[in-house]
Amino acid sequence: MDIIENNVDEQHDSTQHYEVLQELGDCYTSVGNYTQAQQYYEKAAVLSPDEAGPYVGLGVVALQKDLLDDAEIAFRVACRLDANCAKAYAGFAMIAQERADYKRAFEMYLKSLELDTDNLIALLGLFQASCQMGSFAQVTHYLEMYLNMHPGDISVMFPLAALYMKDGRFEESKKILLDLLSLDENHKDAANLLEEAEHSLAQAKQGTQTGARML
Amino acid sequence: MSDIPGMSENYESAPKSNEAPLWSKKKAGPVVTVLVPTFNRRRYLAGALASVVRQSYRNLQIIVINDGGEDVSDIVNSFGDERLMFIDRKENRGKAHSLNEALSRAKGKYVAYLDDDDLYYPNHIETLVDALENKSDCQVAYSDLYKVYCKVCPDGSRKVLSKVVEISRDFDRFFMLYYNHVLHVSLMHRKDLLEKTGLYNEDINVLIDWDMTRRLVFFSDFHHVPEITGEFYQPDGDCDRISVQCRKKEKEYTRNILTIRTTRPAKPWTKLGDMSIIFITERLNKQAGTTLGSIWQRTFYPYEVYMPLPTADFEKLDTDMPNIIPVLVNPLFSGAERIDAALARCEGEYIAIVPSGFPMREFWVEDSLHALVNSSVNNEGFELEDSTDRLWAVVVRKNDLQYARRRFPNLSVRESLNASGIVIRRLQPEEIPFQFDQLLEKARSAEKNGNWSKAAEMFEYITAHHENELWMKTLAAKASFRAGGHIRAAELSREVNRQRPTVDTLLLEAKVKREEKDFNSAIKLLEKAEQILEGKELQWT
Repeated sequence: MDIIENNVDEQHDSTQHYEVLQELGDCYTSVGNYTQAQQYYEKAAVLSPDEAGPYVGLGVVALQKDLLDDAEIAFRVACRLDANCAKAYAGFAMIAQERADYKRAFEMYLKSLELDTDNLIALLGLFQASCQMGSFAQVTHYLEMYLNMHPGDISVMFPLAALYMKDGRFEESKKILLDLLSLDENHKDAANLLEEAEHSLAQAKQGTQTGARML
Repeated sequence: MSDIPGMSENYESAPKSNEAPLWSKKKAGPVVTVLVPTFNRRRYLAGALASVVRQSYRNLQIIVINDGGEDVSDIVNSFGDERLMFIDRKENRGKAHSLNEALSRAKGKYVAYLDDDDLYYPNHIETLVDALENKSDCQVAYSDLYKVYCKVCPDGSRKVLSKVVEISRDFDRFFMLYYNHVLHVSLMHRKDLLEKTGLYNEDINVLIDWDMTRRLVFFSDFHHVPEITGEFYQPDGDCDRISVQCRKKEKEYTRNILTIRTTRPAKPWTKLGDMSIIFITERLNKQAGTTLGSIWQRTFYPYEVYMPLPTADFEKLDTDMPNIIPVLVNPLFSGAERIDAALARCEGEYIAIVPSGFPMREFWVEDSLHALVNSSVNNEGFELEDSTDRLWAVVVRKNDLQYARRRFPNLSVRESLNASGIVIRRLQPEEIPFQFDQLLEKARSAEKNGNWSKAAEMFEYITAHHENELWMKTLAAKASFRAGGHIRAAELSREVNRQRPTVDTLLLEAKVKREEKDFNSAIKLLEKAEQILEGKELQWT
């Protein structure tokens, strides 16, 4: 097949088929059809053996099937192919969480977020692990960063508001909750927390006024 | 990962000629001769032939020509199809020779081509016959093809990495003279056109396809069917191909290009006017030689150079340049008299007058010639873009120049044109040729630089203001997605997919559906894309 252009060394996009297979795997995972998802991830892995994506997918499928050892192997392969694979670290964290190893889960979520601050699953996992461990020191920072990148993400707004409340940052908590309720007025937990925040603010104000009068 | 269906050894399952499938009951159309030259590609020939034998259009003569390669007779014979003719030449004589040999046995009204590692979809021939018989007056038609990037496994099987419609351009005669925008495997033409164009040129070793399509544009318009009816293969990192190797020999490649550009089929040309270049020089010196050489290098429109020179100068003329017509003149002749002497001999409908030393850039004459060819205004000519008072150059219709010289033979050429009311003007920006291609190049350059927003904007502009809508929309969709305009990318992809789904646009639309959490719609789109990638289009329905 001849064309006239003499650019015989031109690069081309060779990832199209891989992308289709990987997307199919991800979509089937999302609708809970793990058998189909696994088939497509396996095809993707054969076609592009150097890509970490299919192994992350296979790890997620194994996790869903509660095959923790298989999942760990798949995430390890993904990490070997891509040492900075944030999703694989999130996968390790989920496995650790399943095994009630909250400290390791926390570390792995943190590692995942260091590599990709945009990873919502790792962020919420970190929050969950923090709750399980009773330690919230590093979570607020990541939640704030994520919300800056994704303003209006309800799934992050609520935990952040809750953390603000816990730290006594009622005004900031109230602001986020009001924003959240303007996006989802039926969010009952947010409405309840808002009530609590307003109550705390009122109490704090009253305390200030009392103090002032005493002075 | 399976091999591409139709590519492996299962070709024995192709319908045999003594079977009576449904499609054979269709009314027989004209015979189409399909030429399949082959050279040392046993692994893929079976798939290629299966894709021809399985065509929905049955009235075929299929000629397989082995160009001195390894024996493939067992593959050809295994089809048991009486429509197949096999020329088993033991000596390697090249593709052009193979095609000519096959053409000498062709009986079809139409001719189509298939390389031994490429594939037709089952509707390929039917689509093109329908276009030529029922949808246009053209004698040449072409469709679109997927370019398949693939990885060749140690066992020779091919894993598909991507399928992309890299070109889907409506026919542009002027552009075809400059650049081949029609893939030969997608081409079908009347066989009797070859009586006018001549056969394949066996003296060139690359671009033999373009050499033929370029000659076809002298005699016919081309009808573009923007449907994908086949695929051709580009193995990943394959530098062993003959065509690739030949292109890397720069000198040889240039020789081929110049041979193709200077090839002039026998007249009359029904679709193209000839151009005569009258080259004006006082004497044959180094500068004249350089200008002549540049004309040869830079001119892609068909031309002949008329050189009015005294005998003494001609004796010094030593060049391989083709298409030079000597016009012997009296050494005492003025410039105008020399032009008149040449004009009396010129055969072209268009005359370019060019002085020695005139600067030659790409499109030096074609810019203005394109405007002249497309001008509906009589009595109009164009001063070339780089023309000056000292180096005055012009392109005009021969009739106009003859009229001016007859009326005012004693004036200079410029004055006589003016006195005769022939308006010589400069090109307007909107008259510049290849505007589509220039915009496309700029958009592609923006892509290469990672400026996806700019690229998307330009592709959308081209879509709105030029032809080749499906192709441009696809590129706009891809660039929009990369620029973060996912919703726009989905809209554009959807529009393309409604008319002619491609893997690229199906994938883009699916990605956006997934982002919207509409997973079932995404799956449908992706499965369609996967079917195309897996070659389901090749399977018999």
